[in-house]
Amino acid sequence: MTHAIAIRGLHYRAGRSFEIPNLDLSVPTGSIYGFLGPNGSGKTTTIRLVLGLLRPRAGDIRVLDRPMPHDAPRVLARVGYVPEQPHLDPTLTVREVLRFQGAFYPTWDHAWAEELLVAFDLDEHRLFGKLSKGQKGKVMMLLALAQRPDLLVLDEPTDGLDPVVRRDMLAALLDYVSEHGATVFISSHLVHELERMCDWIGVMDQGRLVTELPMERFKRGIKRLVVSGAPPIGDPTPFSVLSREPNGASSETWLVRGWEPEMQAFFETGGASLQRVIDLDLEEGFVELLRTFRTPRREEVR
Amino acid sequence: MFDHIDPRSPTPLYAQIASRLRLAVSAGELRPGDALPSVRRLASQLRVNPATVVQAYRDLEAEGFLDMRQGTGTFVRDVPVGRRTSERVYQATLLVRQLIANASRLGVSLDELHSAILEEMGAKAS
Repeated sequence: MTHAIAIRGLHYRAGRSFEIPNLDLSVPTGSIYGFLGPNGSGKTTTIRLVLGLLRPRAGDIRVLDRPMPHDAPRVLARVGYVPEQPHLDPTLTVREVLRFQGAFYPTWDHAWAEELLVAFDLDEHRLFGKLSKGQKGKVMMLLALAQRPDLLVLDEPTDGLDPVVRRDMLAALLDYVSEHGATVFISSHLVHELERMCDWIGVMDQGRLVTELPMERFKRGIKRLVVSGAPPIGDPTPFSVLSREPNGASSETWLVRGWEPEMQAFFETGGASLQRVIDLDLEEGFVELLRTFRTPRREEVR
Repeated sequence: MFDHIDPRSPTPLYAQIASRLRLAVSAGELRPGDALPSVRRLASQLRVNPATVVQAYRDLEAEGFLDMRQGTGTFVRDVPVGRRTSERVYQATLLVRQLIANASRLGVSLDELHSAILEEMGAKAS
């Protein structure tokens, strides 16, 4: 499998408070990779490292098979970036913004930029600074798409925007991906949106990548189990137990990872019984994963 | 047609899309020769990964429901009546299983469920 983004052994530190101690991350070429994590977990920092805007203290970052930040100019010509905060000159009109940005990219698609202007219902004569938040978001997405990139790096592109705007932006994004087969690396707090379109999921917390899996495996593997006559804590299990909580005297709720249906046999042979297997959606799985990652192992991780 | 696609369900999205199309073909909502939306259009309309749509279409092609013609599009095939009937029966079974599971979760007995079904069906028939 080739990777549009490959990070190996990355170490980054900003001041005393924030550190990414040792990050490995792989975004398969052609995937739509959802990058999840609470605020302050290191998502935006990782994105800036990927784009060569920050320098790591150690480790390798390869983007579209070239080393970053060393080959930044060649790489960035093929990367569309939507930052968390729009960074364009507010005194330019939408038309001027397009003309300015388009000049940087030999691959700029004039015809499609015009189509997107209409599809996004943007007024080319308005000043960028006078646009609503949603209109600004659409301009940013338009700019990233019209350069016809091989990789799109989107940092919370639709967070805080209304549902109609989000829908238009994501429809345009997926339209482009269908046609061009580009890779998408997208961070967002809108987990249900990611759940629809991503085929890979990476979860950051406290500067660490807690998990990185194909979406289906992530969702299939994380379950809540209701177990009665539970075996003692510490018995080896074929899956990993993230937490166990008693429900009254007779049963316990387990949160497990790496679950497969055949593992039911584990309970029967041990004299326990599995009463229910409860599916979690991406958001619940994500929240539970963070909760268990943080509480019991904090000392061990330090 | 895809109003009930639920990304939060543990059933993968490609399987949900395939299942919805299989039923549409079996129930006659889609007729032989009908063209399906392109992968690009459906992915962007549902805001799902294009690979998800491709996988649903491929699975249905392998089952003989669809015909993917390079360059021209994806079309509904003429599925034998028996196959369509068995697909509807299968869907009916799934619906009933779901109903029974919900009833037992809510503490409704099978007898109560059964008489409610008969009553509703009677009301519908008259």
